Amino acid sequence: MTNLLTNIGVAQIKTASSPGILRTILGSCVGVCIYDRMKKIGGMAHILLPSNLSDSTRPEKFADTAVPMLVKQLIGEGARKEFLSAKIAGGASMFKFGANTMLGQIGDKNVEMVKNVLSRLGIPIVAEDTGGNSGRVIDFFLEDGRMRVKTMGQEKYYYKI
Amino acid sequence: MMDIKQKIESVINNLNELPSIPEVTSKIINMVNDPEVSFKKVADEISKNQSITTNLLKLSNSAFFSKGKEITSIDRAIVTLGLKEVKNIVLLVTAKPILEKEVIGYDLEKGALWEHGLAVATASRRISLLIKRKDISDVVFTGGLIHNVGKVVLAIYVQSLFKEILNAVETKKIPFYMAEREIMGYDHQEVGERILAKWNFPPVLKSIVKYYLEPELAPAEHALEVSIVHISNALCLMAGVGIGSDGLYQEYSRFAMGKVKLSDQDIVTLYSEVPEILNEIKNLK
Repeated sequence: MTNLLTNIGVAQIKTASSPGILRTILGSCVGVCIYDRMKKIGGMAHILLPSNLSDSTRPEKFADTAVPMLVKQLIGEGARKEFLSAKIAGGASMFKFGANTMLGQIGDKNVEMVKNVLSRLGIPIVAEDTGGNSGRVIDFFLEDGRMRVKTMGQEKYYYKI
Repeated sequence: MMDIKQKIESVINNLNELPSIPEVTSKIINMVNDPEVSFKKVADEISKNQSITTNLLKLSNSAFFSKGKEITSIDRAIVTLGLKEVKNIVLLVTAKPILEKEVIGYDLEKGALWEHGLAVATASRRISLLIKRKDISDVVFTGGLIHNVGKVVLAIYVQSLFKEILNAVETKKIPFYMAEREIMGYDHQEVGERILAKWNFPPVLKSIVKYYLEPELAPAEHALEVSIVHISNALCLMAGVGIGSDGLYQEYSRFAMGKVKLSDQDIVTLYSEVPEILNEIKNLK
């Protein structure tokens, strides 16, 4: 089982096929899981910020660039756009913010931007586990596209694809 | 539940039950604050311990610490990297076995707390350089590395009282550490301070460990160092680095923001650099 598991770090994108499992750990970041239900391949992006604010660095960090990258990569691996669906998780915020800072809004803004980009790409979101103040460990099972979310000692499964 | 409170109390008050660190670490961490200290004395102290010496030389030549020239002796390490950097490496080598273990209760798998400490240390150092306070960069690095050492001791009690703690968080709308205090009588910051007292670490490090979640309560002379670690900790947790069962159930302090005097944009930029920080520390894990 363990050799099926691939860990995805902050601002990384990886793809896999059945029966692989993709895992990431999320705070305010958003994990985007995209699945092709016919080919049983899929991928995950671990998104740090909504969009590129300065001219900085890697496109994998930002929702507006990472999500299209992930989709492009999947299509390059034989996925068909009409069979794709997405599940998203994460986007938590600090319990309390002493100031109304940009940092305090990152979780919500990440979720919002991911949704915008997916809608622009025409990929439906079939499950969502976002917001709140908890960290999440998510596992994306490529055998059937299910997503497991572990949070505060509890587990939830999302099966819809 | 009273039984557990008493049990924790007795553990906290019994030095033998708290984690130990080699004496050389305590000595060196205090030696570097002494303006009269002799390099030779520090080198002699380190050289007495073969495994620390070996690991120190290995790390001195790692991408993270290396200044280019190969370092083949403790003396060279002190001359090339400086006394404070050598102190950081000694702490890194000797704190790792304590902090790299799996931390149940807080749901951190093996290595997660350690990676979090390394990331917070590195982010804290970046902040100190950003605000042109190189003079405190080694202190915030050290403090960042060990800021949540108390979790190591409290973990098994958090494990058994998790439901009660979570219930207090949700019903009273308080941060997780306040719920720890309420349910167990202690929070991990206070336990961490006890551990550092046992290790004979200097006051500024004790302040960082005790107040990193409540920087406004820190002694004024340590408020900046504490605030830097506060912000770094928040950034790393938000990025998911070392986030556990206590999640983001803590406050982000306006006081710390004011103390460090970085703009919102600077902080977001730093947050966007967490992947680079993780890349820097990957060979230290």
